[in-house]
Amino acid sequence: MKKYLIALLFSTMTPAAFAVTTIKAEVNGMVCAFCAKGIEKKLNALPQKQAAFVDLKSRVVALQLKEGQDVSNEAFSKVIQDAGYSVSKMERVSQTVDAIQAEVAKAGVK
Amino acid sequence: MFKQLQVAFGTLLLSQLSWSAQAAALMGFEDSAMLMTEIGRYNQEWMLNYSPTLGHAIGVEQMRMSGKGEQATTISGINYTGLIKRWNMPAAQANVWFNGSVGEARGQFDGFAYTPSLQFDAESTRLYFLAKARMIRAPHMNYDTAALQSGFSFYETGFNQTQPWFVLEAKTMRNNDPGLQITPAIRLINKHYFLEFGITNPWQGEGFAPRLNAMFVF
Repeated sequence: MKKYLIALLFSTMTPAAFAVTTIKAEVNGMVCAFCAKGIEKKLNALPQKQAAFVDLKSRVVALQLKEGQDVSNEAFSKVIQDAGYSVSKMERVSQTVDAIQAEVAKAGVK
Repeated sequence: MFKQLQVAFGTLLLSQLSWSAQAAALMGFEDSAMLMTEIGRYNQEWMLNYSPTLGHAIGVEQMRMSGKGEQATTISGINYTGLIKRWNMPAAQANVWFNGSVGEARGQFDGFAYTPSLQFDAESTRLYFLAKARMIRAPHMNYDTAALQSGFSFYETGFNQTQPWFVLEAKTMRNNDPGLQITPAIRLINKHYFLEFGITNPWQGEGFAPRLNAMFVF
């Protein structure tokens, strides 16, 4: 019984303790790695960045934020626009960049 | 002896290189620098530009060219690149660019030189098209150029991989020989560089010339 209680306690604590916020966007015009390098460079320069991911085929750009830090949707869109592209869809998800990368890779294999 | 052979081979290779194609992107992103080189049998060019903001880049350019039996002319100038219009589509991008230099010509022709050009390009992750027209003028000199390119990538790649392309270019240059240059080329693109290797007029004995084009963004 005690074990169940401990497991229950951990299962409720885990999401809060490891809360992940990632901005995931679909970007228009991103067709060439040489040209899209600017997106990666600008995302890497953000102090709030935990991890970043760019994928040409799925048109996905993802920015995982450091815990307790934030980048507004407007600021994120400006990063993409300054690199020469436009955001067609944006959402905040609780997946890590690694999870999104795996998801995109899996979808690409299908 | 071995070193002399290396130098001779390098000189021979460079002498056979031909004027290269234009890449789609004529500048990097905001606050970036781009180096472009085009080495050719009849023409050589390099350009270094800096983009303080998206859509505008300033830099320096030097180009060298010659007609049949002429002494070479070198144009050294200040270059400006402007993005006139960009269309960002779900799986494609198209652009209209202005690019041009003003400077000084020296060699067969001397004096004030100017090289305005317009370029349209459209590409997806699999297909590519470019059309470009450029005036290359100085007193008594006219090397106006028009070029068309079309190509396809062999397969799609991830952002961190190198993507190979096949590109075919048709180009004309006034007062140059050969006047029409057809160049099939292999293009390699990844996020660090753009390299293109081609053969101009592969069926033509004297016009046959390997070609190299490279771009780097910092």
